[in-house]
Amino acid sequence: MMSQPSKANAEGPESHDSISGRHERARDFEEAKKALLARPRFSVRAQIYLGFALVFLFTIITVAGLLNSIYEVDHKVRFLETVNQYLIQIEQARRFEKNYFLYGTNLREGLDNVYAANQILEINRNQILSITGRNVYDQMLSNLKEYEALLKRIIDLEQQWGNALANTEIDHSIDVREQGQSMISFAQEMAAKERTALEKSINRARQMHIYYLLALMAIMVVNSFILARRILVRIKQYKTFAQRIASGDYTLITPMRAYRDEFTELALAVNQMVLDVEAREAVLIQSHKMRAVGTLTAGVAHELNNPINNIMITGHMFLEDYDSLDEADRKDMMQDVVNETNRAKAIIANLLDFARESGSQLAPLDVAALLTDTIALASNRLKRSRINIEFSKTEKLPRVHGDSQQLRQVFLNLILNAIDASKPGGKISVTVLPADEPHYVAIKVIDYGTGIPKHILGSIFDPFFTTKPQGKGTGLGLSMSQGIVAKHGGLIRVFSQEGQGSTFTITLPVTTFPAEIKAETHLANS
Amino acid sequence: MSHLEVLLLDDEPIVGKRLKPALAKVGCEVEVFQDPVLALKRIDEKDFDVVVTDISMAEVDGMQVLEHVVAKNNRTKVIMITGFAMMSLAREAMEKGAFDFIAKPFKPDDLRLIIARAAEALGKPIDFEINDNG
Ligand SMILES: Nc1ncnc2c1ncn2[C@@H]1O[C@H](COP(=O)(O)OP(=O)(O)OP(=O)(O)O)[C@@H](O)[C@H]1O
Ligand SMILES: [Mg+2]
Repeated sequence: MMSQPSKANAEGPESHDSISGRHERARDFEEAKKALLARPRFSVRAQIYLGFALVFLFTIITVAGLLNSIYEVDHKVRFLETVNQYLIQIEQARRFEKNYFLYGTNLREGLDNVYAANQILEINRNQILSITGRNVYDQMLSNLKEYEALLKRIIDLEQQWGNALANTEIDHSIDVREQGQSMISFAQEMAAKERTALEKSINRARQMHIYYLLALMAIMVVNSFILARRILVRIKQYKTFAQRIASGDYTLITPMRAYRDEFTELALAVNQMVLDVEAREAVLIQSHKMRAVGTLTAGVAHELNNPINNIMITGHMFLEDYDSLDEADRKDMMQDVVNETNRAKAIIANLLDFARESGSQLAPLDVAALLTDTIALASNRLKRSRINIEFSKTEKLPRVHGDSQQLRQVFLNLILNAIDASKPGGKISVTVLPADEPHYVAIKVIDYGTGIPKHILGSIFDPFFTTKPQGKGTGLGLSMSQGIVAKHGGLIRVFSQEGQGSTFTITLPVTTFPAEIKAETHLANS
Repeated sequence: MSHLEVLLLDDEPIVGKRLKPALAKVGCEVEVFQDPVLALKRIDEKDFDVVVTDISMAEVDGMQVLEHVVAKNNRTKVIMITGFAMMSLAREAMEKGAFDFIAKPFKPDDLRLIIARAAEALGKPIDFEINDNG
């Protein structure tokens, strides 16, 4: 019985599909781009500028504070000097006053000192006012005036009474002394107060320096930490992106933060790159496929010879013996012709269906049927190498969600590798069965050929790794197969013993839980 | 006129089914086989005048059948059925002692002609006219 190919019509709307597939990706790309650019911009550059501005502002405030405290200190020092000069004058005056009372010396010179003290107060009026306030200043002035008046009174009395001291003078001398004393203590007290204030100011300035340094350091540390983290996190993220893309996962980068920055431009460039890599990979896959088709066509053409030969012989005999044939024979012959025509059609359809270029289209697939088709494609190669292929399947396997063309290509790559590794007269087993993990099916391609030496087992999935002579192998078969299987959410594994043979096992998730698969791909997106 | 004893081996059942009567009509006694192993066994039992074998078959290929026949009895004429564009294989077969080859697809008369030539070479002409001397 002739087996129909699993896909009834080979001439599907392939060109349309491939365009819509590419179209879809372009739309995804545009969507990702829009989403990436829709966020408010906060660039790394802005953050650096902001950090510097913050430090600068803080420095200005601190410097202003320091200048102010220096000014304050200076002011206080000057005031203390003034108070000192004033005190010197007063003390001088008091010395004259004392001498007068003790020895009767001239009191007029004391009066000069009082004038000088007055002048000091006058000259430094603003300075004193700014520190002590008006009350204290007025007090000082009036004290001085009073003292002056007292001194003057003594001098007047002396002129009236000569050198003879009267009782009244004694009263006066007590007044004068008290007045002088209180003036001095007043000024000294003020000076002492200002001195402690001065010390406080100096202390404050000193502390300000230390605090400023500490705060500056804190700001710088926090700012560089935030900045470094922001950049390093991004770099790490892009490292995983690169690894992901290398493993064949072409999910586009979508927004992950509330703002965009310089890395957004990188994300756009990476997305563009992914799109280009994907397109180029599709070309590569297609060209690898066409190479396989090339090696198969001779076999397929030969395969085609059989039904055509059958038709030719039957047709000729039908004509030759037409008259002598009974109806049952005629019917039998025509039935053969019809069957063989279908067989020829199936052979061509299978090859064309496999060879045709198409965009990635996902559908629930019967893996066993795909394997049957693939084995049919390779049947002539197998026959010519005199290799027996055994195909066994578990009945009623769940379907696999995938791209039939790409999966057939994967299976064919494994079968062709197995043929290359087998000796003439060898055997290859192909099996499809439920995998050990639930919700997966396993496809095994087992050969009993050369096996794979341990030291190259780790490299066979690398692109361009081949042990076959130039022109025979490109070394892309397995790397491509791995990419395709990974895209289907599956795994490809190999077990091999040198001289014994190899077993390649592919596991693919089944369609019974489309929601789960969807959820998984969504997870991969985030 | 004695019958020409022919063994026809091709894993395509229709080939045997249709060619057996076609060859019988020109005076051949045909035994048809699809399985080369069984065919080889039969060849061991009996000396055929002509063996017609397909060149590409699963377990045992036509070349082995040729070698087997030649080794056993080099009087037997072996005719190889080859595929289209398999000239190198055909040449190899000729070197190994095949009488002639015929490429698929062929007409029944094409095969009859070659068998007739073989029969002539054996001195056992059959009931088929060889018109051209190609
Ligand atoms: N079944 C196998 N048995 C032994 N070695 C194998 C088998 N499958 C793969 N290999 C080894 O792995 C290498 C890489 O295989 P891969 O299919 O990637 O490339 P290739 O077959 O050499 O080239 P291409 O697939 O383009 O024809 C092969 O060259 C071979 O050495
Ligand atoms: Mg390969």
